[in-house]
Amino acid sequence: MFTNLTKLDLKDKPCLSEAGSPKLCMKALPGEGAERSCAYDGARVVLMPITDVAHLVHGPIACAGNSWDNRGARSSGSQLFRRGLTTDIMENDVIYGGEKKLKAAILEIAQRHHPKAIFVYATCVSSLIGDDVNKTCEEAQKELTIPVIPVNCPGFLGDKNIGNRIAGEVLFERVIGSGDVSKEKIPLSINLIGEYNIAGDIWGIIPDLKNLGITLQTAITGDAKFDDLRSAHRASLNVLICSKSLTNLVRKMEIQYGIPFIEGSFYGIHDTSETLVKIATALGDADLLARTLVYVQKREDETRKTIASYKKVLEGKQAILFTGGVKTWSMVSTLAELGINILAGGTQNSTPEDFQRMKALMDPTAQIIEDTSSAGFLKIIAEKKPDLIVAGGKTKYLAHKTRTPFLDINHGRKLPYAGYEGMIKFAETLSRTVLSPVWGHLRREFPPKEGEQDD
Amino acid sequence: MINMKATTKATTAWLNSEEYKEKNFAREKLVINPAKACQPLGALLCALGIENCLPFTHGSQGCTAYFRSTLSRHFREPVAAVSDSMTEDSAVFGGQTNLIEGVRNAYALYKPDVIAVFTSCMAEVMGDDINAYIGLAKHEGAIPEDLPVALGNTPSFKGSHITGYDTMLKAFLVALATERQAEKINDRLYVVPGFDTYPGNLREYKRVLKIMKAPFTLLPDNSDVVDAPNLGTYELYPGGTPLTEVKDALNAKSFLFLQSYTTMTASKYVDSKEVPTETIPMPIGIKGMDQFIQSVAKFTGLDVPDEITQERGRAVDAMTDAHQYIHGKRFSLFGDPDLLMGLVSFLLEMGGLPVHIVCTNSTTPFKKAMEALLASSSYGQEATLYPNKDLWHLRSLLVTEPVDMLIGDSHGKWAARDANIPLVRIGFPITDRVNLHRSPIVGYTGVINLITMIANTFLDDVDRNSPEATFEMMR
Repeated sequence: MFTNLTKLDLKDKPCLSEAGSPKLCMKALPGEGAERSCAYDGARVVLMPITDVAHLVHGPIACAGNSWDNRGARSSGSQLFRRGLTTDIMENDVIYGGEKKLKAAILEIAQRHHPKAIFVYATCVSSLIGDDVNKTCEEAQKELTIPVIPVNCPGFLGDKNIGNRIAGEVLFERVIGSGDVSKEKIPLSINLIGEYNIAGDIWGIIPDLKNLGITLQTAITGDAKFDDLRSAHRASLNVLICSKSLTNLVRKMEIQYGIPFIEGSFYGIHDTSETLVKIATALGDADLLARTLVYVQKREDETRKTIASYKKVLEGKQAILFTGGVKTWSMVSTLAELGINILAGGTQNSTPEDFQRMKALMDPTAQIIEDTSSAGFLKIIAEKKPDLIVAGGKTKYLAHKTRTPFLDINHGRKLPYAGYEGMIKFAETLSRTVLSPVWGHLRREFPPKEGEQDD
Repeated sequence: MINMKATTKATTAWLNSEEYKEKNFAREKLVINPAKACQPLGALLCALGIENCLPFTHGSQGCTAYFRSTLSRHFREPVAAVSDSMTEDSAVFGGQTNLIEGVRNAYALYKPDVIAVFTSCMAEVMGDDINAYIGLAKHEGAIPEDLPVALGNTPSFKGSHITGYDTMLKAFLVALATERQAEKINDRLYVVPGFDTYPGNLREYKRVLKIMKAPFTLLPDNSDVVDAPNLGTYELYPGGTPLTEVKDALNAKSFLFLQSYTTMTASKYVDSKEVPTETIPMPIGIKGMDQFIQSVAKFTGLDVPDEITQERGRAVDAMTDAHQYIHGKRFSLFGDPDLLMGLVSFLLEMGGLPVHIVCTNSTTPFKKAMEALLASSSYGQEATLYPNKDLWHLRSLLVTEPVDMLIGDSHGKWAARDANIPLVRIGFPITDRVNLHRSPIVGYTGVINLITMIANTFLDDVDRNSPEATFEMMR
């Protein structure tokens, strides 16, 4: 019944701690207070942005109650994915089992909400009480014309990364290439893997792709439609954005469908250009590559010109960077673009490779944040006294209490930071944060000491 | 494209129909857009109100991450809590090792004076005996023998955040409070706010109790924790009810519970220890606050101070000044039972007409009390209480039997938008407006604040939507 970890190759390779990176794949210590989410959350992160399907949580109220529409993934079409659907497992279901309830819920959704497919998420409780979500989905599907797809991701399987990978597995097994779809490759087309359209990020990338003549088959899964995902195997190239969490998916797509993959990032001018050039190179079209080289130069110049005024005010500022995935290293060059120096950097949900890449990009004097608990985070703020902190929402209010300007770059943000346009937005928002007069009020002693001027 | 749009339009029309409403209300096995949180979240909020207390979830780690982010988004404050991160191994072998190692690490790192251990689903399905595990943890020296640990069983598949709060509160009394002794009875009134996400409310209670010269303990009191001042350093334990006062709770002169449905087992426990207890409705609206004042005055034996009479007068004045904006208006409300009792009572005082009242975590006693409240006023005659329904039911109600305003937390914004009516945000969580939790909705001050929110929202709408001919300086 449980997802077989060994089969899925989910167990992390030995830690690279001997190579100088902290034990990133280490499990959270009980009681340490690092705010990590669970495998269920990880699966939701990957699949929930699929817009025209229903996402049904087979669990007690909290799993859905605390997570419906909490990610800021945006859709240009159907908003069905944001509806919070749950079987709300109660005590009686724990005793008598919840399969019947689940089936009824699936049928109700199919009948009344017209989804293209239904994803059914198992949770700790449904797994522990022995509900067979696979079987129930299969039975329900027999009565329906749409796919009912089980996602076996009880939270206790571990960290978010594991859930990410389970979701990748589900997409590969149940969605991509399924149904009556053509196998023909679409020339000059790509999938953006691990791009979730947080705050509309993807809309800052698509115009540049269009201008270059590159077709976006689908993102996996930002602003994705179910039918486009089914045809994801028709793309000529996979571009892995959120670094490693979906590596298993792109590897399998390479083997099964012959789609090569590259890694890239659309955060910052440098990485956006580099990724576009890499895409053009990998697509193997000489004309496209030539076009791209000219295009990125032009876009870089334009963008740098626009952000020059922000750079002027941000240059020389000292930052602490704490994030995960691709942003681990991509944010280093993004901040460098603005003349911001990184005093310390750290990561929680990144792979050793991501981490090493971050380390290589940072100034050798920059400190590595080893202790990722709240206590460790506060200690490094107190030691380094940064001008700003760039991190995810979890640390936002902690940072505010230390009177340090803070910018949320994870899913809590409301502004898109991807692509050249995103870089402008990022620079603008960062300047507004750092230059806000509120920090001045906070730092002034009150009541003022005698002889000190109260400006 | 055109076809798709036509389909969407047809779907929306159908979703808004009477026919769909019927089908929607026949729905039994599926919850859509839930309006309740789970037990451990309530337990966590309760634990934040005890001085130097570390909230500790025994369960999967994701649960705690969700609680912290939900609370953090509402209060815009860091929320300290830890989890013992149970995993697949624990599912097979039980959670004993996780709990013992968890409290060991948490104690070493965060040096609490008390730990509040509460469970999430996983531990409960497996039937972990947390009491025995904590005994073992002490025996093994993972935590000091004399470190108080309050234990709450709070699976998410039972009750809701309000029952979790109740369970944790009782757990604190069981773990910390010494037995009542006649010669040790103190002079204090123990005031229990109940599940309350407004630090502004707690501060209001304290302010009024001081004016009334009542020696008191607010139990629990998380106002300084979820609304901590910015003094340049982060404090892990910035406030809360002092431990000495928790320990002395059962020696209280008496207890006053300010909510009924969030403190049922805790108040029963206090009552069973022969402490005089009184439970009054959450003091929202004039009547509600009058009752609070009278209860406190009875406790002190003193006259109601002039200052309070003046405050009450100002609130009544605000009601008369603004009555025309609320009288006769139709309202839908959703939220927790105690909050709904208070808000409905206030609306009835103002001549507002509650129409739909949706309560996801309703109980039979609440249903009876609400029906009695509605029956007591001519303004309550149009109202229907929908117990155990969700926000998708509410949506059907709003589009088929329109009202003028929705009152509830931020989750209501979709339904309000679909019905094209304003949402006044009262409840939990409020994640899309600032500072609302800082202004009290209880007390006479709360009366004025509620009028301000409700009347001005109507007036903002009028101004934004009126043609030039009726666009006026005075409203």
